[in-house]
Amino acid sequence: MEAYRQEIIVGAIVVYMLFCIATGLWAMRRTHNSSDFFIAGRHLGPIVVALALFSSTLSGFGFVGGPGLVYSIGVSSFWMVVISSTGYALGFFLVAKRIRMIAELRDCISLPDVVEARYDSKLVRLLMAITIVLGVMGYLATQILAMAVVMQAILSGTETFADIGLVTCVVLSSAVLIFYCVTGGIIASVYTDVVQGAIMMIAGTLILVTAMSVFDGGMQEATSVILENDAEAIMPYGAAGIMASLGWFFVFGLGLAGQPHLITKMMMNRDMRDNRSILPMSLFGYVMAALLWISIGIVMRAAVIDGVVPPLDQPDDAASVFLSVFANPLLAGVVFAGLFAAIMSTSDAFLNIGTAAIIHDIPRAVRGQSVRNELFWARVVTVLLAIVAASFALYSHFRDATLVAILGAFGWGTFAASIFPVVAIGLNWRGATVAGAVTAIVAALLINFVSQLAGIVFPYGISGQLVAFAASMVLFIGVSLVTSPPKLPRDIDALMDI
Amino acid sequence: MASRLIYAILIVAVLMAGLLLAIGLAEPVADAGGMAHPDFPGMQLGGDGAARLEHIGALGFLFQCLLLIQIVLLSMLGVSERYYSGEFYAYMGGSLLFMLIVAWQMYSGHQAYLDSGETGYFLGFPTATAWQMYGTWLGAIPLILVYSLGFSRFIYSDEDEARFKQLLQDKAAAESTAESTPDELEQ
Repeated sequence: MEAYRQEIIVGAIVVYMLFCIATGLWAMRRTHNSSDFFIAGRHLGPIVVALALFSSTLSGFGFVGGPGLVYSIGVSSFWMVVISSTGYALGFFLVAKRIRMIAELRDCISLPDVVEARYDSKLVRLLMAITIVLGVMGYLATQILAMAVVMQAILSGTETFADIGLVTCVVLSSAVLIFYCVTGGIIASVYTDVVQGAIMMIAGTLILVTAMSVFDGGMQEATSVILENDAEAIMPYGAAGIMASLGWFFVFGLGLAGQPHLITKMMMNRDMRDNRSILPMSLFGYVMAALLWISIGIVMRAAVIDGVVPPLDQPDDAASVFLSVFANPLLAGVVFAGLFAAIMSTSDAFLNIGTAAIIHDIPRAVRGQSVRNELFWARVVTVLLAIVAASFALYSHFRDATLVAILGAFGWGTFAASIFPVVAIGLNWRGATVAGAVTAIVAALLINFVSQLAGIVFPYGISGQLVAFAASMVLFIGVSLVTSPPKLPRDIDALMDI
Repeated sequence: MASRLIYAILIVAVLMAGLLLAIGLAEPVADAGGMAHPDFPGMQLGGDGAARLEHIGALGFLFQCLLLIQIVLLSMLGVSERYYSGEFYAYMGGSLLFMLIVAWQMYSGHQAYLDSGETGYFLGFPTATAWQMYGTWLGAIPLILVYSLGFSRFIYSDEDEARFKQLLQDKAAAESTAESTPDELEQ
């Protein structure tokens, strides 16, 4: 079996991609209008929503960057993962019920729709849509680039595709993503998410078992090796220190409720009462999949220190080296399919909300109505958005590496800082005003952008994202309190009593 | 209560921002955010843990405690104030207490290791790290139980459902009236 390792991995990925294409064709027959395309007509059951929610949370970063971070800075990066239980809980307490109710009451199909309904303001809708488009470009470009790089690494290991180029890999991987997103919209996206989530859970569990067998003494021996080399790396705050760790605790814990690609999925369930089971199911799925992040990172750091494997060229190689050295070829095939699943499940969610922002929200904010024949234009813009993101990714890779990095600054932390106060607090507090919302969004974008562009380094590992988030929360509440309380539309006012 | 709760959330947010400022202005420690490993490229070392926490350790722990308090306050903001009762406060208070105990066990465990240089292990990790990993992960379970098991009592009761259905019916009636009015005028 070892002789056919590359073929098995390629086979697993091909099967997975064929499944995505078939799902797109199936979902196309169920997509009749823009509501179906963007929010699946609010017809989804709890298991589908739960799996879609957690698989969209854990992107390719969790499978590649996560283990790499543990290899690099030890336990510090655990904080991004272990806070997930609190993050999910807070997201459901603050957002799940109200966003679902407003979506049904006002026929909303996007997050900016919800925001305009709540604040009765086209300016807030416009700012929210612009934030989403900028964030989507950064996220999509990095995801597409990651997908292409992994595909190139795998295919170049076979005789047939030994000389395959990165551009070809971008085209191949993007084509599959675009196909099922264009044909089936969010219906294809969430049903592929179900399988993607299942693959990620299986991969996480099997990797944990494999990782525990690398050292005779299991995980304890691995952590002991790290402790002897540098105790702080395996202590609670890791090599990056207490404030970097707590910064992630803050941004990932509170920030989950501000991620547009996640909270949009809270609008899609058929029955409000399903939320009671969606929360624990989502969390369970996430924990199972995230086992891979922690176990690979710890074992690879220990294995390198102990001389079991040579030092890695770069931390992000941790997962691929682990799979090639320690994993059975079949397991490697499942995990690589899981990696593509993780990347695609996040990418399709971003394609969907980015398209909604462009053809639905920005036109509504600017001229009071969305484009005619929304479903047709949704499909066209999905293709264009993916092509532009792929071009950004390639340009960044070959010409200017800062481009995607700058757009990447509009990642999780910026969404968290600019969207959490406006949506998560604003949907639960009548006193939130338009001025408060605009101030919070603008401040969050400015602080994140300036700290990224100017390369500002805060002491003790404090991140610009943490500063932006803390500032936007204070400004949102503070400015709302000192400006005139808004007169809410009657239905929204009544809804906020529920 | 919700109107007063927002003041509590603001106060905690301001205190956290103040702590960030205080930490930023604290006496700097070299390589507090890690340093490059001399032997393995891409790997970072934490170095002297006691030195890194000397000026900001207590402030950092206080920041963590305030964050946990903020999480519980924000969770309460998501519950209609009609359901604020002694029982609800007890559940939320208990959830907070549980999270604070986990945080203290982690912080004090780390301090104990820095003092003695010795640690026990639990499920593969040094004790303090086990509190951080398993404890933090499980720390939100009480909140999740309050949400899932208390869903019909605190989040979305039968009364809530009836009120929401009424809102939908009012909306449908208003739309129906708006559609029929032009025809009626013509007749």
